[in-house]
Amino acid sequence: MKKLLKPMKNKIHLILFIFIFLLIQVYCDLTLPQYTADIVNIGIQNTNFEFIINLGIIMLVMVAISALSTVGVSYFSSRVSSGYAKDLRKIIYRKVLKFSNHELNDISHSSLITRTTNDVNQLQRVLGFIFTTLIFAPLLGIGSIIKVFELQTNLSWIILVNFIAVIVLLVIVMLRVLPYFKITQEIIDRINKTAREILIGIPVIKAFVRQDFEERKFRKVNKEFYDVNIYVFKTILIMLPLMTLIMNLMVVLILYFGAYDAINNGILTGDIIAFIQYATQIITSFLMIGGFLIMLPRFLVSARRISEVLNTEITITDGEITNISSNPTIEFRHVSYRYPGSEKETLNDINFSLKPGKTTAIIGGTGSGKSTILNLIPRLQDPSSGEILIDDMNIKDLNLKCLRERISFTPQKAILFQGDVRSNMKVGKADADDGEIKRALELAQVDFVDDLGEEVTQGGSNFSGGQKQRLSIARSIIGHHDFYLFDDCFSALDMNTERNIKNNLKGLKDSSILIVSQRISTIMDADEILVVDNGEIIDRGTHEKLVESCEIYREIANIQIDQMEALL
Amino acid sequence: MSPRPLKRKPPEKPVDNKKAIRNILTLLKDHKWKLILTVICAVVSTVFTIIAPLMIGNATTIIFDGINNMIHNTGTIDVDSLINILIIVVILYIVSSVFSYLQSIFLIEVTTKISYDLRERIINKILHLPMEKVEENKRGDILSRVTNDVDSLQNGITQSFIQLTTAVITLIGVFIMMLFINVWMTLATVILIPIAFLLIRFMTKYSQSYFLKQLEFKGSLNGQIEETFTGHDIIRAFNQEDISMEKFESDNENWFTQEWKSQFYSSLNGPLMNFVSNFTYVVVAVLGAVFTLQRVIAVGDIMAFFQYTQSFTRPIQQITRVMNQIQTAMAASERIFEFLEYEDEENSSNRQMSEIKEGITFTNVSFSYTPNEKIIKNLSFDVKKGDKIAIIGETGAGKTTIVKLLMRFYDIDSGSIKIDGVDIEEFDKNSLRSLIGMVLQDSWLFSDTVANNIRYGNLDASDDEIVDAAGQVYADNFIRQSKDGYESVLNEDTDNISHGQKQLLTIARTILSKKEVLILDEATSSVDTRTEKLIQKAMDKLMEGKTSFIIAHRLSTIRNADKIIVIENGEIIEQGTHEELLALKGYYYNTLNSQMKENI
Repeated sequence: MKKLLKPMKNKIHLILFIFIFLLIQVYCDLTLPQYTADIVNIGIQNTNFEFIINLGIIMLVMVAISALSTVGVSYFSSRVSSGYAKDLRKIIYRKVLKFSNHELNDISHSSLITRTTNDVNQLQRVLGFIFTTLIFAPLLGIGSIIKVFELQTNLSWIILVNFIAVIVLLVIVMLRVLPYFKITQEIIDRINKTAREILIGIPVIKAFVRQDFEERKFRKVNKEFYDVNIYVFKTILIMLPLMTLIMNLMVVLILYFGAYDAINNGILTGDIIAFIQYATQIITSFLMIGGFLIMLPRFLVSARRISEVLNTEITITDGEITNISSNPTIEFRHVSYRYPGSEKETLNDINFSLKPGKTTAIIGGTGSGKSTILNLIPRLQDPSSGEILIDDMNIKDLNLKCLRERISFTPQKAILFQGDVRSNMKVGKADADDGEIKRALELAQVDFVDDLGEEVTQGGSNFSGGQKQRLSIARSIIGHHDFYLFDDCFSALDMNTERNIKNNLKGLKDSSILIVSQRISTIMDADEILVVDNGEIIDRGTHEKLVESCEIYREIANIQIDQMEALL
Repeated sequence: MSPRPLKRKPPEKPVDNKKAIRNILTLLKDHKWKLILTVICAVVSTVFTIIAPLMIGNATTIIFDGINNMIHNTGTIDVDSLINILIIVVILYIVSSVFSYLQSIFLIEVTTKISYDLRERIINKILHLPMEKVEENKRGDILSRVTNDVDSLQNGITQSFIQLTTAVITLIGVFIMMLFINVWMTLATVILIPIAFLLIRFMTKYSQSYFLKQLEFKGSLNGQIEETFTGHDIIRAFNQEDISMEKFESDNENWFTQEWKSQFYSSLNGPLMNFVSNFTYVVVAVLGAVFTLQRVIAVGDIMAFFQYTQSFTRPIQQITRVMNQIQTAMAASERIFEFLEYEDEENSSNRQMSEIKEGITFTNVSFSYTPNEKIIKNLSFDVKKGDKIAIIGETGAGKTTIVKLLMRFYDIDSGSIKIDGVDIEEFDKNSLRSLIGMVLQDSWLFSDTVANNIRYGNLDASDDEIVDAAGQVYADNFIRQSKDGYESVLNEDTDNISHGQKQLLTIARTILSKKEVLILDEATSSVDTRTEKLIQKAMDKLMEGKTSFIIAHRLSTIRNADKIIVIENGEIIEQGTHEELLALKGYYYNTLNSQMKENI
C-alpha cells in the first residue's frame, strides 16, 4: 500500500490548500446558526432592526466566502485526484514494461489492463470522495460539537441518544444484508453465465430441440435472483424511513427538553433553534462517513490489485556487457524452466546450440514447451536453472538492449500495433527506409499492401490471420539479426505461401534460424530437428535420421504424410 | 451542505422518446393497482412530513412566548400545549415513515417483478429467434440487455417513481405551506431556484465539452495500454520500451489536462447548490426576523421556514439527478424492446417426421445471407438413406451453410430440399431437427458436470447409458482419470479440458441422442495429431449405419465416402466417388496432387 502513496508526494501542498479551504468553508457554514440564534435572541427579543440587518450582512459575507472556498476545494481536489491517477498510471505502465513472462504468469494481460485503467479510475474516484466528504464530514461534525458546547445547554445527551440509535439501526440492517451482497453477486454471475451459455449454444440448442429445457434452467436462476433481490431491497429500504424518523424525533426531543431547559436554566429560543441545526449536522456528517465506509471495500480491492502490480518483483535484471562478436553462437546448457507455483517442469535439461548459417527446428505437441525455449533466448523469461550462453558469456550478463538487438523474434500470435504499415515495420528496424520495407514485405509474401501508409487498426484487426502473420514475419526480417526465431508463425498460411517465404529466408544464411512448428513439411529440411515432448528433448537429428530412430516423430510424420499417400 | 457529485457520465439519450415511454408504460400497466397504492402511500407520507414543520414552528413560538413572559415576569412556558403539539408531531412523523416504507415496498415488488419478467422474455426471445438475428447482433450487446439494461431500467423506474413522486408532491406542498406562512419570504426563497437551475444547466453544458474531449483522450490512452500489454512480447523483444513509454506519457498528459477540468466543472454543481441553500437560509433568517418584529409572522414560523427551504432545495437536486437516470432507463428500455420486437423463428407446420425412408434431395437450392450476395448457387444433389456424403472445398465456399440449410437454421431463397419427396418446409422444424445430430468444430458444452453434458443428447438417459456413450468415443478413460470422474464440473469457459476432449464429449452426446442423420464438422489443426486420430475413430463409430454429411478435412474420410461433393463459391463443381473424381482429372485431382507434392 505504501507504494500507492508515492504519487501523492509532490501534491502535498495542493492537499494542504484543500484542507485550508475546507476549514474556511466549515467555519463559515458553522457561524450561520449561531448568528440566527443571535438574531432571535437579541434582535427579535429586543426589537433591534439595525442589529438584524447588520448580522444579515455579515452572514451574507460568510455565505460568499464559503461558496468561494467550495469552488477552491473542487478546483484543487480535481487537480489532485486527476494528477494522482495520471502519475499512478505512469508508474504502473513503466513497471509492467519491465515484466517478464514469469511475472505475467501471475497476472494476466487482461487483468493488467483493467488494473491500469479501471482500478486506477476507481482510486481516483475515491480520492475525490475523500477530499470532498471524508475530510469535510469530520470537520463539520467536530465543529458542530464545539458549537453545541458553546451554546451551554443541557441537551447534548439527546444527540448522543440519537447517535446510538442511528448506529444500532445501521448495524442491524447491515448485519442482515451484508451476507446477501455476496450471494447477489454470485447469482448475477450465474445469470450472466447461463445467458451467455444459451447465446453461444443456440445452434446446439436448436439442433437438440432443447429450448424448453434451457428456459426452465434460466427461470430457476432468475427466480433465485428475484427472491434475493426482494429480500435485500426490503431490508435496506427500511433504513431511509427509520433514519428520517430518528432525525425528526430528535427535533421533537430537543424542543421538549429545551422548554424545560429554558424554564430552569434560562436558555433562549435562538439557542434551541441553533442547537437543532447543529445536532442535525452532527448526525448528517456521521452518515456521510458511514457512506464512505460502505464504499471502502470496493476501494480496497482496487488498491490491493494495484499494489500487487507495484510490488511484483522484477526477475529480469539488466546485464552490462555490450560487446558481442559478429557471428555469435548460442548454447543452451542444462536449461530447465518451471513456472512459479507449478509442480511440473515446463522444460527439463535442454541442451542444444544455434550456429551461424544453420537452421534448427523444434517439433512437438501443444504444451510440450516449444515456445518456452524460444522465449528464453531474448530473455522474455529466465531459466530456473542451467544457463544460456552467447559466445560462452551467460546472456544474463549481457546488456538487454544489445542482446535483443541481435535477435529477431516472431511469436505464434501475430500482433500488430495501431498506426500504418510503415510504422509497424519500423518496429523491426527504426531507421528502415521505404525501399528496405518494401523488400521485406516482398520476402514475406505480403502482396496485399499497396501503400506503406495503409492504416493498421488496433491489434491489426483489419487484416486476416494469415495477413497478420506475413506482416509479422516481414517485421522480423527487415533488419539484420544474428538469430531469427520463428514460433509456429506459418500456421495460418497455405502451403504455397509458406514454401515461398521459406525459400526467401534462405537469404539469411549467415545467421542462425530457429523454427518451431507442428507441421513436418515446415521443418523437414532443417539442419537439426529437436523433438520435444513433455519439456524434454527426446531425440534430435535430420528428418531422415529421425524417421528411422524416433517413434513419436515417425508417428507424426506418418499421420501427416500417409494421409496424402493413401489417396492415390 | 449537500454531498457533491463526483463523476458524471453524459446520460445516454433514447432515440424515440415517445415510443420508449409507451413501452415502459405497458410494462407498468400490469401492476396498475400496486402502483396506485404506491402513489397513495407517497402522498400520505409526504403530506404528513410537510405538515409537521408547521407544528414544530408553533411549538417554537410557544417556547419563545413563554421565555418572553419569563423575562417580563408575566408567566412561563405553556408546557401542556407544547406537549400536545409535540405528541401530534410524533404521530405525524411515525405515520409518514410507515407510509414511506410501504411505498418503497410496493414499488420494489413491482420493479423487481418487471425485471424478472423482462429477463425471462429476453432469454425466451434468444431461444426462439431465427439464426440470422442471433448472428446479426453482437453477443455482448445481447448479454448486456439481459443484465445491464434490465438493471438500469429497474433502477430508473424505482428511482423516478420514488423520487419524482415525492419530489413533486413535496415541492407543491411545501410551496403552499410557505405561501401560507408568508408570501414575501416565499418569493424571496423561490426566486433563487430557477436561477440556480439555469446556472446548473449552463455549467453542465460547459463541462460537457471538456467531458467529451477527455473521453476521446481516454479512449486513445486505454487503447494504447491494451495494445502494449497484449503485445508485451513484441515490445520487449524489439526494444520498444522507450518509444512505448514516450507515447504513453504524451497520451497520459493529454488526458489529464482535459480530465481534471471536466471533473472540476462538473463538480461545481455541489458548491452552487450549497450556495443557494446557504443564501436562502440567510434570507429567511433576516426577512423572518424583520417580519416577526412587524408582527406579520411568529418566531416559530422562521423555524418552520428553515425546514421548508431545506426540503425545497433537495427535491430540485433530486429531479436533476433522476432526469439523467430516466434517460438512461429509457435508452435501456429502447434496446430491450427493440430486441423483444424481433419476429420469432417461424414454425407454422405441425407435420411430424419420425424417420427417413428413402433419402434427402437438394434441387436447385440457392441461398444468400444478404441480398445480391449468393452463398449457395443452384445446388442439386441427392443422398440415399445410409450414405456418407463428404463435402469439401475451401474456407468460405459454403460447406457449413449447406448443412445449416438442411437443419432449417436458414430458409432457402429458391429451389427445394426434400426428405422422402416432401419439402422440409412442410415439417415442424423441431421434429425435423430431432432427426439430425450435429457435431460442430466449436464444440459447445455448458459448465455443468461431464455426465450432464453428455446427457444433453437424451435427457432421459441412465447413468449406464452415459458411461457407455463415453466409452464408445474413447472418452471414458480421460473422464475417469480426472478427480471427480463423471461428476467433474467444466468451468465457465470450459477450458479445464482440452479442445480435443471437448470434441469427444460432443460426439458422445450425439451418440446418446441416436439420431438418424448426422452432420459432422471435422476437427482441424488446433487438435494435435494423436487426439485427432481418437476423434476420427469416435466419429467413425458414430457414423456406423447412419446417413451422414461430413465437412471433411481428413483425406481418409473423403476416400471412404459414398459421395464427394466439391464446393467452390457456393457451387458444386464436381461430385462422385473418390475414384470417379480422380478419373475426371479435374479440380479434385489437381488439388490433391499439388497438396501432396508440397507436403512430401
